[in-house]
Amino acid sequence: MRIDSTHRPWAVIAAAALVISSVAYVLYASSQHGGLRGGTAMGLAFGIAGYVLMLFEGLLGARKKVPVWRLGRAQTWMRGHLWLGMITLPLILFHAGFAFRGPLTRVLMLLFFLVYASGILGAALQHYLPSMITSRVPLETIYEEIPHVRRQLRDEADALVDSLAVEVEHDDKVRFRESYRTAIRPFLDGPQPDALLANEQKATVLFESLRRGLPAALHPAVGDLASICEEERQLIVQRRIYHWLHAWLLVHVPLSIALLVLGGVHAVLALRY
Amino acid sequence: MAGRIRTTKQLAQRIQLDYFKKPFPLPLWKRRLSYGLVALGLLWLGWDSLSGKHAYNAGPLSHGHQIVAGNCQACHVQQGSFAMKASDAACTACHNAPAHQAKQLFTPPCASCHVEHQGAVRLAAMSDASCTVCHANLKVKEGQTAFATKIASFSQGHPEILAMRPNHAPDPGTIKLNHQIHLKKDLRGPDGLPVQLNCSDCHQQTHNVASGKPLSPNMAEVTFEKHCMSCHPLVFDSRMADPAPHKETKVVEAYVVAQYTSYIARHPDAVHEPVRLNPSLLGRPIPPAPRDAQEWIAQQTEEAERLLWQKSCKECHPLTYPAPSSRPEVPVAHETLRWMKNASFDHTAHQLVACAECHTEAPSSQRTEDVLLPVIATCQKCHREGQNAAGTYCSECHAYHDWSQAKPVRSTNSISQFAP
Repeated sequence: MRIDSTHRPWAVIAAAALVISSVAYVLYASSQHGGLRGGTAMGLAFGIAGYVLMLFEGLLGARKKVPVWRLGRAQTWMRGHLWLGMITLPLILFHAGFAFRGPLTRVLMLLFFLVYASGILGAALQHYLPSMITSRVPLETIYEEIPHVRRQLRDEADALVDSLAVEVEHDDKVRFRESYRTAIRPFLDGPQPDALLANEQKATVLFESLRRGLPAALHPAVGDLASICEEERQLIVQRRIYHWLHAWLLVHVPLSIALLVLGGVHAVLALRY
Repeated sequence: MAGRIRTTKQLAQRIQLDYFKKPFPLPLWKRRLSYGLVALGLLWLGWDSLSGKHAYNAGPLSHGHQIVAGNCQACHVQQGSFAMKASDAACTACHNAPAHQAKQLFTPPCASCHVEHQGAVRLAAMSDASCTVCHANLKVKEGQTAFATKIASFSQGHPEILAMRPNHAPDPGTIKLNHQIHLKKDLRGPDGLPVQLNCSDCHQQTHNVASGKPLSPNMAEVTFEKHCMSCHPLVFDSRMADPAPHKETKVVEAYVVAQYTSYIARHPDAVHEPVRLNPSLLGRPIPPAPRDAQEWIAQQTEEAERLLWQKSCKECHPLTYPAPSSRPEVPVAHETLRWMKNASFDHTAHQLVACAECHTEAPSSQRTEDVLLPVIATCQKCHREGQNAAGTYCSECHAYHDWSQAKPVRSTNSISQFAP
């Protein structure tokens, strides 16, 4: 999601909440010997507010599970997730009085820092990478469909080469098919980012030399293969960018869920003791 | 040949409509890692709890409570079906905690002021809010309070030190001590040489090894034997090796008689010696020569007592004579060892500054009645808000509990409860 001027209201709300909570914390903590603690009225207020926001953050995942429910626009949820998430860490730090003395609270804070850092990384990646996909992958497809589309491309290339309907010398056809089998088909067989054809310039040179060695009647077929390889290349780029765009979620989401559960345990035990 | 054309429709048609029903690595691993991490966390908590480590412990206990670190139930008592808060009963099972004031509106629970699980902190050090919750707007159950009612902090509303308030009684001491004379530069010592007395020559803290601190917080009593006698010996006759004792006058008189009796027994010829009148004491005619030892002793004793009562003792004590010609009476000294009845002060903690920096009036004081404590403004020079300053916490000087009401704790705990 691109962070632009449409985020301003959320940013203002988050900044205002941060300022208010910071002032409340400083005033309260400075009047207390040893600062603010989680068990005080103000500490509990910060803790409850922080945990409620964490639950709201977690609800984004639940919201995605039911996209057709009328629960507000996904973008609104995402903006809330981003900006309210930003103030969750200060609230929890205020709740703890910047002190994490118990083993569980130390683990919770470690989880929190990792979730927070991965979230910020994710927000930055989500800001920059989608536009990169748009510009570099005009033939973008659904990520999960990439293997299926790649199979289609390979089948399309195979069919193109097998059913040449042009009148050319037999040797030219053999040479064309041999070139396809040795230089192009392996590239279409599996994702090979370091292959010759994965590089656009090198691919252009290769297909140009192929054209030069083949009669003009085969040039359209060579052009189609070049187009298929270009699409394949775009899918490689899309796959790579997609991994950057979503791999951080492998850290962010599991740690967030662990944080929510262990945070709940902490809340129950803290209220009990 | 037209070449390969990819229309939007073609691009759309290549997508399998049920693609989202198939498992894909990223969401699959997100789910696996989520379950795994949660299970790992809960297993850790469960294992730690079963092994008695209590990972959910809010933090390390204070030094004094380390003995019960593995026994939460020593302090956390079941209250109802859910809560297991630290109870006052658990605290008072081991600690004496006298009430604060009979008139206080409410008694807070122990744990609201003494906050545990903060590590090696001093539990007696409380937050100012614990005090100002009442003292910022002090109200009592009934009647009036003698204390200031609007104390928000040490710098806001704290009254003057009690002994330094304008209407406070003067020093009740009866020793005629002139600080100015004792601290002057050209003072002569017992050997006639100049000496410069310092405050600590007379005002000393006692060694306090039993309490674990090198010195007692308060100054010890100034005693004649330790602090006065070297310059003010009760010499009554140059022929006697020892001065008179610093005791009640009847003891002094008995001592003087005994000394002269012993002397005349050892020097029988001295009976013919006339009484040596002290030139500094006027008003006594030269007595007739003694006829025997008894008369000699009586004359010598009378002269010695004249010296003692009218000069040596009188120099410091206001003597009273209940009956004419009888021995004088010396009033009790009434040395005040602790001026601040509602606060404590540790001289050791303040030894980094010279005495007269706080006791500013002492070097110029000439009267016993002068109370020579610092005023609160002097304290506030160092004890102020902000950086590079001594603390201003209430608990630095004041104790909540009225320790004069302390009672012994009769514990029923056994060693095996804490050290199985």
